[in-house]
Amino acid sequence: MALMEVTDLTMRFGGIVAVDTLTFNIDKGSITALIGPNGAGKTSAFNCLTGFYKATSGQILFEGQSLLNMRPYKITHKGIVRTFQNVRLFKNMTVMENVMSGCHSISKQFVGGALLRHPAQRKEEAEIRRISEEALKFIDILDLKDRVAKNLPYGYQRRVEWARAIASRPKLLLLDEPAAGLNREEKNDLVRLIRRFRNELGITVFLIEHDMGLVMEVAEKIVVINFGTKIAEGTPEEIQANPLVIEAYLGKDDDEGGPVQ
Amino acid sequence: MEHNENIKLQNIEVTANTAAAEEAAVEEPTVIQRKGIAGAWDNFVEGMYRLVETTKGKILVFGILLIAVGTMPLWASSYVLQVAWNAMFYMLLAIGCNIIVGYCGMCDLGYAAKFAVGAYTSAILVKTFGWNFWLTLPVVIIFAIIAACIMGGPVVRLRSDYLAIVTLGFGEIVRIVARNLEITGSASGISGIPRPYLFGVQLTKIWMWFFVFIILVIIFVIASNRLKNSRFGRALEYIREDEDAAEAMGVDVARYKLWAFIMGTVFGALAGAFYAMQMAAISPNSFQFLQSANILLAVVLGGMGKVPGVMAGAAFFAIFPEVFRDIGEYRMLIFGIALVIVMIFRPQGLWPERRR
Repeated sequence: MALMEVTDLTMRFGGIVAVDTLTFNIDKGSITALIGPNGAGKTSAFNCLTGFYKATSGQILFEGQSLLNMRPYKITHKGIVRTFQNVRLFKNMTVMENVMSGCHSISKQFVGGALLRHPAQRKEEAEIRRISEEALKFIDILDLKDRVAKNLPYGYQRRVEWARAIASRPKLLLLDEPAAGLNREEKNDLVRLIRRFRNELGITVFLIEHDMGLVMEVAEKIVVINFGTKIAEGTPEEIQANPLVIEAYLGKDDDEGGPVQ
Repeated sequence: MEHNENIKLQNIEVTANTAAAEEAAVEEPTVIQRKGIAGAWDNFVEGMYRLVETTKGKILVFGILLIAVGTMPLWASSYVLQVAWNAMFYMLLAIGCNIIVGYCGMCDLGYAAKFAVGAYTSAILVKTFGWNFWLTLPVVIIFAIIAACIMGGPVVRLRSDYLAIVTLGFGEIVRIVARNLEITGSASGISGIPRPYLFGVQLTKIWMWFFVFIILVIIFVIASNRLKNSRFGRALEYIREDEDAAEAMGVDVARYKLWAFIMGTVFGALAGAFYAMQMAAISPNSFQFLQSANILLAVVLGGMGKVPGVMAGAAFFAIFPEVFRDIGEYRMLIFGIALVIVMIFRPQGLWPERRR
């Protein structure tokens, strides 16, 4: 069953068509990857899904509901959470506070609760802490919870971002180049983690990624785009054998006169 | 393809090396021990943080503080009390302004307008309509919310420089409106406001106001801390740190900014209402841009977002000009130099960050 259906998604910036009638599905409980050469429109498509860009035309359905024209925070409230290509933590706050932000969309106390600290508010705060600690434990960085985010090495900052994302108990997790800047060992950890997100937490995972090895290892379905349009879709084996994909990545011998950017 | 693989492998080697170095860094929190006075100060601060962490330490520190401040009327002259009262008034404003500037990271150059709203509302109701002062407080809160919504509408959609300009504009608008309306007493303002009663005693002496303001400061500190350590307060800090990431985590940025603005205005308006009663007179001159600038500076100087810091900053702003009264206008020169020095050596504000 498709959790998210993207139909004819198009994103134009002035005269440039970044995403061109892109159509694909993200199946519930799957690990799906979107790949493509540099400048293929991956990030633009990603930003349309998360509401950071407004799609020019097309349709994005999540559980049958349209996400078009929905503000990013509302999309998060629907159960879709994203990470950023270059880690964007709340730098001057502790790891714990960072991860607690994940719980924002699943809690509701406001000014009144904050000032009065009534039982319902205390209960919710305790719950937020519990969920956040669980998320930290899941990513195995609970011992870092009182450290200030900006003082952590890059690899750990990434982990904090993942913990923050799963603390919101999402149905769909969107990872924007999660392996960027990680070393081999960390990449292996990432592959294991992505599988655990799906197998243990039941989160559907969608990622865009440059690292082919990682994508082939972890993804069950791969969508390949080039110049904003889909050129292939299928299992890793199918994609590896697809001549169009090889051409898009390596160029074609007689393709000298092809599109120049 | 093979060539590509090679490059990739090399890259991985390099990142692996740096990662190994980082691994070592994460085990040991990087604490740089400074030498001399700076080192001693660091250790003192760390010691204080540890002390305040325990309940006993908390009681000890705040007990001593409370006794020292609470017995002041017994040994201090009324001039000193007046200065201390003024310092506490600034603290109230700084705590309120801190919600907007410190927690939420919005630059507010018109905070004087916010306490003007409270001061005028209360003064008009008491003087012109003969209300009991304490009954005006709910009205002050309502007016503050209305004013914040009017001012906040455009404010929450803007970032940085534009925000500063718009708040500055609103600050001036409020002052000029107060200057020209009849009900606000135009340029001469409102004077001869009858002092309120508390437990049957009219609050006429400075030491009475001194205690009233101690209680107000305590209430403001508690309220502000509760706001900070809550889902609401954290959301404001997420916005300050990274608006896009906050939005991605489900924070309705515009709504939370507006509410930060509202809470800051309510705090400021309440402080303003008490100010009007203590002074028994207000005029548009009390709400000039310089006031707004001073409050903002107190927050920045003390350390944005840190309540003890902004209180220290506010106290500094109230006490400094008094201490250097003898040297006349030169004190502003020294003051300016002091500000520059602080901003060069401690851009994060006077209140130290815990090292971790």
